[in-house]
Amino acid sequence: MSILSRLGLLCLPVALCAAELPPPGQRPEPPGVHALVGARVVIKPGAAPANVTILIRAGRIADLLAEGQPLPADARVWNMTGKTIYAGFIDPYLAQGTTNRPISNRWTVPIEATAGIAFHGGPNTKADMGAPGPGYEVARITPAFRVAEKYSPREKELKELRELGFTAANIIPTQGIIRGTSAFVLLTEEDPNRVILKADVFQHVAFETPGEREDGYPNSLMGVIASVRQAFFDARHQVAARTYFSENPTSARPEFNPALEALRPALGPKPVLPTVFEPGSALMNHRAKLLADELGLQPVLVASGQEWRRPELAKATGAPFIVPLTLPAIPEFPEEDDWQQVSLDELRTWDWAPEIPALLRRQNLTVALTTYALPDRKSFRPNLRRAMERGFTEEDALAALTTIPATLCGLDAQLGTIAKGKLANLTIVDGKSYFESGSKVAGVWIEGRPYLSTEAAVAPDKAAPKPEPSLPRTADVPAAYRGPLAEPASVLIRNATVWTSGPQGTIEKADVLIRNGRIEAVGKSPLPVRGAVALEINGTGMHLTPGIIDCHSHSMILGGVNEGTLPSTAMVRIGDVVNSETDNIFNQLAGGLTTANLLHGSANPIGGQNAVIKLRYGAAPEDMKFSEAPAGIKFALGENVKQSNWGEKYTTRFPQTRMGVRTFFANRFTAALQYRQAQTAGGAPVRRNLELEAIAEIIEGKRLVHCHSYRQDEILSFLRTMEQFGVKVATLQHVLEGYKVADEIAAHGAGASAFSDWWAYKFEVIDAIPYAGALMHDRGAVVSFNSDSSDLARRLNLEAAKAVKYGGVPEADALRFVTLNPAKQLRIDKWVGSIEPGKHADIVLWSASPLSTQSVCEQTWIDGKLYYDRQRAVERLTRLQAERARLLAKAKKPQPATGDNPAEKARAAFFQRALETAHQTSRCYECRKDN
Amino acid sequence: MRATTITPFVVASLCASLCATAAPVVYRAAAIHTVSGESFAPGELLVDGGKLRAVGKTVPRAAAAKVVDLAGLQLYPGLIAAPTSLGLAEISGVRATVDTTEVGEFVPDVEAWISVNPDSELIPVARANGITHALVAPMGGRVSGVSGLMQLNGWGVEQMTIQKPVALHLWWPAMQLDTTPKEQLADASKSKSLKEQASERAEQLRAIDRFFDDADAYQKARATGAKDFKKVPAWESVLPFLKGERPIMVHATEARQITAAVTWAQKRHYKIVLVGAQDAWRVAELLGKHAVPVIYDATFELPRRDDDAHDIHFRAPHILHRAGVPVALCLPMGGWAASELRNLPYLAAQSAAHGLPRAEALKAITLRPAQFMGVADRLGSLEADKEATFIAVDGDLLDIRANVKRVWIAGEEVSLESRHTRLFERYKNRPRPRP
Repeated sequence: MSILSRLGLLCLPVALCAAELPPPGQRPEPPGVHALVGARVVIKPGAAPANVTILIRAGRIADLLAEGQPLPADARVWNMTGKTIYAGFIDPYLAQGTTNRPISNRWTVPIEATAGIAFHGGPNTKADMGAPGPGYEVARITPAFRVAEKYSPREKELKELRELGFTAANIIPTQGIIRGTSAFVLLTEEDPNRVILKADVFQHVAFETPGEREDGYPNSLMGVIASVRQAFFDARHQVAARTYFSENPTSARPEFNPALEALRPALGPKPVLPTVFEPGSALMNHRAKLLADELGLQPVLVASGQEWRRPELAKATGAPFIVPLTLPAIPEFPEEDDWQQVSLDELRTWDWAPEIPALLRRQNLTVALTTYALPDRKSFRPNLRRAMERGFTEEDALAALTTIPATLCGLDAQLGTIAKGKLANLTIVDGKSYFESGSKVAGVWIEGRPYLSTEAAVAPDKAAPKPEPSLPRTADVPAAYRGPLAEPASVLIRNATVWTSGPQGTIEKADVLIRNGRIEAVGKSPLPVRGAVALEINGTGMHLTPGIIDCHSHSMILGGVNEGTLPSTAMVRIGDVVNSETDNIFNQLAGGLTTANLLHGSANPIGGQNAVIKLRYGAAPEDMKFSEAPAGIKFALGENVKQSNWGEKYTTRFPQTRMGVRTFFANRFTAALQYRQAQTAGGAPVRRNLELEAIAEIIEGKRLVHCHSYRQDEILSFLRTMEQFGVKVATLQHVLEGYKVADEIAAHGAGASAFSDWWAYKFEVIDAIPYAGALMHDRGAVVSFNSDSSDLARRLNLEAAKAVKYGGVPEADALRFVTLNPAKQLRIDKWVGSIEPGKHADIVLWSASPLSTQSVCEQTWIDGKLYYDRQRAVERLTRLQAERARLLAKAKKPQPATGDNPAEKARAAFFQRALETAHQTSRCYECRKDN
Repeated sequence: MRATTITPFVVASLCASLCATAAPVVYRAAAIHTVSGESFAPGELLVDGGKLRAVGKTVPRAAAAKVVDLAGLQLYPGLIAAPTSLGLAEISGVRATVDTTEVGEFVPDVEAWISVNPDSELIPVARANGITHALVAPMGGRVSGVSGLMQLNGWGVEQMTIQKPVALHLWWPAMQLDTTPKEQLADASKSKSLKEQASERAEQLRAIDRFFDDADAYQKARATGAKDFKKVPAWESVLPFLKGERPIMVHATEARQITAAVTWAQKRHYKIVLVGAQDAWRVAELLGKHAVPVIYDATFELPRRDDDAHDIHFRAPHILHRAGVPVALCLPMGGWAASELRNLPYLAAQSAAHGLPRAEALKAITLRPAQFMGVADRLGSLEADKEATFIAVDGDLLDIRANVKRVWIAGEEVSLESRHTRLFERYKNRPRPRP
């Protein structure tokens, strides 16, 4: 901003500067009293157009005059006959710059992603925490950034927006996780001091994972969420600490932290500032809402275009949505055969996209529209029309451009409707409606000043031929393909071979009775049954087992399995990022899996908190969680945590040796003890430290440790260190050399959750043997076989058979390796793991012995509900393939002409991978480095 | 018959000399699964000079024949893993121990068998579950070199290599376009438009033809016997494969690659074997029509597309078989799979559980790979005049719970001891803690 403009010499609008006559040499100001006559005026959404005269004085709407009322003598009269006038449109989420970028959510590959994982030394060793200067310890948390301090108008961009009918916008910060505050501006090229109507409109949070490109914590989605959570807790603590210090001026001095100060207005109980979340995915919409509730924030959500996956989760947020109108365009494939690689998911996303605004309205949600993330702003109106063809009403559309953004931004007293006293922001179109194809924006008025369109007016009849309306939706509702297939109140399975995995052992020709989701009775056929049975299954020739339990899975995790940046990330939670949308759930149900322990990866000694889930396909993430399962956490030892295979760059993070691993654990556990002591000591309020809290919970026996471990020495060292702190380890994961120290493991009481027969893929597994399970079992350890692979999790019953092959474990015991034993290890054996009266009815029906390779899973039941049935799976697939065929046919047709030539970027958006389905390939997260 | 099929490339059977002095032996077993023909339960094998002399319910008792009673055991031909990186990688995570993949785009004169570590700990582990032969193949580039067939017993590489070269390995270029949006690429500067990619793809396909055209030209020039003709080792390595006498193993995954490779081979009259072939079930009819052999390695891969059946890769071998495609099964190449090679029979088992007739499933890990490699005259089934390479199992080979109890390779019984059994014995006997 120049000195001149600071002095007000460039201040143009006469309305604002009427008192000061500009010096000669500048264009003289026109008078500021206007009467807009003869137009159809829509004063607010839903109102019938009326022929009223809008009288403007000094930038405000001075009056609305009915037809025939006399005009003030000083008014300059504008004949608006044939035009329609709306309140000026508002974009509540405008990113400055020509290329708007949708939120980046590159999926971070866990251990293989060697590039870019950096660590800048241990705690408190950094001169600057995060970015240079004072601020938050995470560089990408910059809540003190204010757009209001940086904004300068860019003419080209403003003109483009005005030509779409926009008169005002909320300019958002675009960098980082907690990004800072937005500023509301009028879309004119004037002195920034004048055009900013309101500074600090919202605080902005984006669940943005940097992927490989950026260094440092956090680089996974769960890390991003944890860092947001911690930052807001820190802000709360800052308030308390300052208060305490002012009352106790000789106490320890709280630090100065402008970032935390800046978060204060966003904090509850009654936030001054709403917080806009850009969650980037359908599941994260709901996560953002839960997080906002936890932290006492008032959320506004930015839609991702993925809401069709789970409309009910959008509804559950109850939050207002700011909705971009990004519509993917059909790509131009060089060859016909290239269509083969188009997935059903891409086609669905494409077909649903125009329906997102209507879909959100159907959930009774408030919708504001934005030009954000449009590859080309010119596509805004054609895209809006396509949204309207899919049920977004004109009234909703007008509200989404006027009253709703005005209210969201707290400016409804100034903007949003055409009413006396409001700012004279108007959007004017030639013809009857903004929303009609071919209608042209004649211009806008901003604070009483006209900005007329420079585009030549096109007579409506000479406009491009009326475009074909787009076709109705072809894609199905995802819920049609998932969810329980049957929910009978009671089920009786007759005459099967029942492997109870419990004290009753294996019973031939047995019956099992299920009622209300629980096992009621098990016994030799015929079992006496009182009362009616809703469903009877003839199990003759079949085998029935408890649902399979996988004690080590990464198959249903969103946005990265490792937060591998820091050596301790005890604060991150898999529970924040459970992926209910992945095909892995169905694939694994088809192998009899009913419960999985979703673990953080093994990139650091203290990893994140795990989540035990049931494979209730169709349920939302929170409803998949095994509510009775105790909390837990992932630890790891050996090559992964000392970064042996991360590449030559990774030699500076502590620990780099197995010696250091023990040192690190002892340090963090001591820190956790001291943290708890400080909390009860009284005095200055203690900062809530989510990392140490999780570790303290371990010491207090409230959180189970699942420790990835390989070599015998590190296993012993780890057990002894935990014993020092009175901790009993729940499971040693993989535990490849556990057979060498099986007696010690058994004496400690740790479970051994092992691979059946993996070996030789890295140096520390050179002594892994397939007999390990049998040897540890023989020495009294509770042994399970896990998958650590989205493939193996489909056939853990056959992994159990390897315990028979290698070491001769009796068959019933071998099956327990994947049923009762993992249940014991996860402390959920009271509810699952065996077929015993009172337990959850999680059962699997097999065509033959579950340990036989000829056996195929016929049905999988969870909580007494049928989730997988082999025959029904065939029907399901046929429907899915038919849906893809229909969508493909539609995509290959010439697309409805919407007047816009889809930009290259809109075509690229067709391939934008949704976070929910971005992962579908990997097998082994732990170690696989081949190829 | 046999003599005529032995090519100069076949190393003289070592056992012929090693085992010549041994007396004939009759093995009696609970069952004999010949794979090529009927099974006998119980049955007998007559072994002499490293070869099977007779197979049947009973066999003629040659004078002085020793009788070995394998009571309760079932006999199968030795299992063949083809192709594999066995012996080329010890610990896949430790680079110094990995010799699986060479650089260079067209390196036909890379020979895999010479670099097999005969004392690799992975070999006895595979052998202990009945794997007696491995086609060791090179990876890397477009034409990665030639593979050799190893028997998993012998003093050093030269004794172990029983056929070389077996196949030339061609890795078909990926035909899918990378559609990852620029913003989602790890390195946005590497982003290429679909058009650019399509033209690169076309160029890669042309490069394959150019390579083989050049090889043809070399062959022609060589035949003229011109004085100034200079030998080129790379072209020399390709010669045996140009006439369609020996197979080119084409590694291809998705349907378009497979279709393109088959069309290419038809046009050039090459004999190919498809390896990998995850999508082969999609083009089963085409493969059946041309009877293209398939070595399927994707049994345990997750579904490739979101509208593929969850069990499609379990069922794929059956779909191929129904279409008349000869199918063998193998694990993927690379060091990881080499350590898992012992699970080869369970690929067959999985296919059998999902439709493939049991006899075909057994063939897929024995006779089929032998046929594809051109060694079915000596390996792959239990028939008179074939090598006495067989395994004895205490149950159904395709059942994980069963164990391979004894293994013979070319008449010689081999040890089933491995690093795993040694460690097992050692720690099984660790003194228990005093109560």
